[in-house]
Amino acid sequence: MKFFIIFFLLISINNLRAEFFEDLSKIIDDNNKRLSYGISVSDVDLDGNYEFIVTGFGYPNLALSFKNGKLKNINQQDIFSDPFRRTIGVAACDIDRDGFEEIYFLNTDTYSGVKRYSDRLIDIKDNNYFDLFELENNRKNLNLTAGRSVVCVDRKGNGKYGIYVANYGGPTRFYEIESDEIKDNAVDLNLDNVTGGRAVVSGHILTDRSDIFAANERGANYLFKNKNGKFEDVAFEYRVDDVIQNGRGTALSDIYYRGRLDILSGNWLGYHRAYVLKDDQFKDIGNKKFDKPSRIRTIISADFDNDGFDEVFMNNIAEPNRLFKIKENGKFEEIKLNTGMEADGYGTGAAVADIDNDGILELLVARGESKEQSLTLYKAKVNKHSKYLRIKPINKFGAPARGATVTLLTNQRKHSKTIDAGSGYLCQMEPVAHYGIRKNEKDFKVEIKWTNGKKNLIEINSLNQTVTIKQK
Amino acid sequence: MKKTLSKFFLIFFALFQFETIADEKNYHKELITDWSRIFPDQNRNAAGPKFFKYIIDKKITYKDFKEFNKLYCAVSGSLIDPDSEPNFLYANESKTKEKICGNYYKCCIPCSCDIMKYSEVEKMKHKFLDGLKEFYVFTIKNPCNKKDFPSRVNKDYFCNGKKINNDQVYNLNGRIVIGLLHKGRKCKKDDIDFVKNHQVTGRFCELRNNTPLENLEAGMGDIFIKLAR
Repeated sequence: MKFFIIFFLLISINNLRAEFFEDLSKIIDDNNKRLSYGISVSDVDLDGNYEFIVTGFGYPNLALSFKNGKLKNINQQDIFSDPFRRTIGVAACDIDRDGFEEIYFLNTDTYSGVKRYSDRLIDIKDNNYFDLFELENNRKNLNLTAGRSVVCVDRKGNGKYGIYVANYGGPTRFYEIESDEIKDNAVDLNLDNVTGGRAVVSGHILTDRSDIFAANERGANYLFKNKNGKFEDVAFEYRVDDVIQNGRGTALSDIYYRGRLDILSGNWLGYHRAYVLKDDQFKDIGNKKFDKPSRIRTIISADFDNDGFDEVFMNNIAEPNRLFKIKENGKFEEIKLNTGMEADGYGTGAAVADIDNDGILELLVARGESKEQSLTLYKAKVNKHSKYLRIKPINKFGAPARGATVTLLTNQRKHSKTIDAGSGYLCQMEPVAHYGIRKNEKDFKVEIKWTNGKKNLIEINSLNQTVTIKQK
Repeated sequence: MKKTLSKFFLIFFALFQFETIADEKNYHKELITDWSRIFPDQNRNAAGPKFFKYIIDKKITYKDFKEFNKLYCAVSGSLIDPDSEPNFLYANESKTKEKICGNYYKCCIPCSCDIMKYSEVEKMKHKFLDGLKEFYVFTIKNPCNKKDFPSRVNKDYFCNGKKINNDQVYNLNGRIVIGLLHKGRKCKKDDIDFVKNHQVTGRFCELRNNTPLENLEAGMGDIFIKLAR
């Protein structure tokens, strides 16, 4: 009898442990069913806190801010909400070096090729948003090609971001501001390829400057190596071209906890990749559970449960989401989801941010596409003794240093994270490196590699804080 | 009794807790990963021989060799889903003209007909990591002298001038190896009856193989036929 009791007790403990997330969706105010796609995280009202920017496909774009225990839409301006356009991709970064992150809304009213309505590039003046593309001198450079994801790239490392627009069935665009005018410099930078653009990330992948990895459909992926601000596609040489698979979501992750960023790439109904660089080639080390084909959209690498090991969240559409923990030596261990599985969810995008500033990441999931669904919000059930450290690099112009790399150095690990410039599918995460702390971990230092390749080393004397580091 | 029970529950619990993650070799994924290496110009039309050469050049076991060879179509050059079922069929052996039976993994059923009609099998020996093995392979004659070499096939894959390009494809006694006949053996009477009465290798193939080439519409086979006939 005693054995039976112990046996069932152990099973019960196991089941309790399996509940990784708690569902916080109820705190989202006016959480109506809608068609949502990409999500970005930026400070849209310049109050020092981040908001989730949620795109709407024929529905308003939202700026969800955490106020009084609720996630509320704080945007009331039409040019931002723009419900008549169909927005799917979004990324924010400071393109004019004024400290405010301009927001690129990628609109798509057709699957591929020529589209009717252009994208928007939202800036702010006197608390009023306006669309830079609506200014007369910018109208000749509208993006009238269907697209998907966008990513911010500080290609010269001077804090002046450009925006890579992953178009579908037309040339890639790379927008920058020159003499108060938006210009597409894709041709000059060797980026104007025509493909089925899907997902894109930028950061320190190969060089000390911002490189770009673009996961494409019906064509090879691109790995653009930064060569003095211009780019060369080296995907074939580095073995990430994955020609006959269809890219969907991608993220940068330090899979080996070795102090460098490697690449996660989710393929639509294909093998998902966990590429780690070895001897000048990327090797896919994803195990059979990890690489199992699924209807993937966004892929996120983040430490949700503050245990010091990153998880990988795979957001699938009309198929259960999946979650893996990356253990030492690149071992992917699946975490069974009940809450957050969303077997009937039409996931289209997702992003993480510590939106309530409690030291634990929230995961916001956008849903829609072929079925109107509400947003969902999750947070990991965290051990109450867990600790965290959040590093927030700010560049010389007062803007988030998207594309910079933060590396946590301790007695146990050398763990790099990118300051997200755009990732997942259609999305962009908060511009903060969030670390949970491992058991018996000590001797904390943080190294920032800025977008110009220069490094700063900072001693960390206390945990459970967000450290803002300004570029000198 | 108590000891046995406790052992049983401990083992059961361990199994329950730790689902085994046996990371077997994923042959299909490996071919997908290396696809752009096998076909640098991305033209895989009728390029089963390229797959065969790529696989035989690997340092692998005989089991690996057989598994890899289940995953592409020797006729069309297409990749095949890992769970696909083969057709049991025969082809004539080059030397003896005897019928050799075995399994053929195909992308679509017309390819089974084409391989029966336009290829011949040969016995081949090769040393794998686990020793020397003998098996049957499908072969076609050297197509490099053809004036009507199919334009949709990359000739450089197959030919070096009028000779077989030994760097790109496997040359066996002056013929190009296009794929593996799985579980190949001399046919018995029952085998031949089975093949002839099967709805694909019998009835359908009879129809297809008596249709003039210009009237063939299904599959990639017409390209292969032009290459192999």
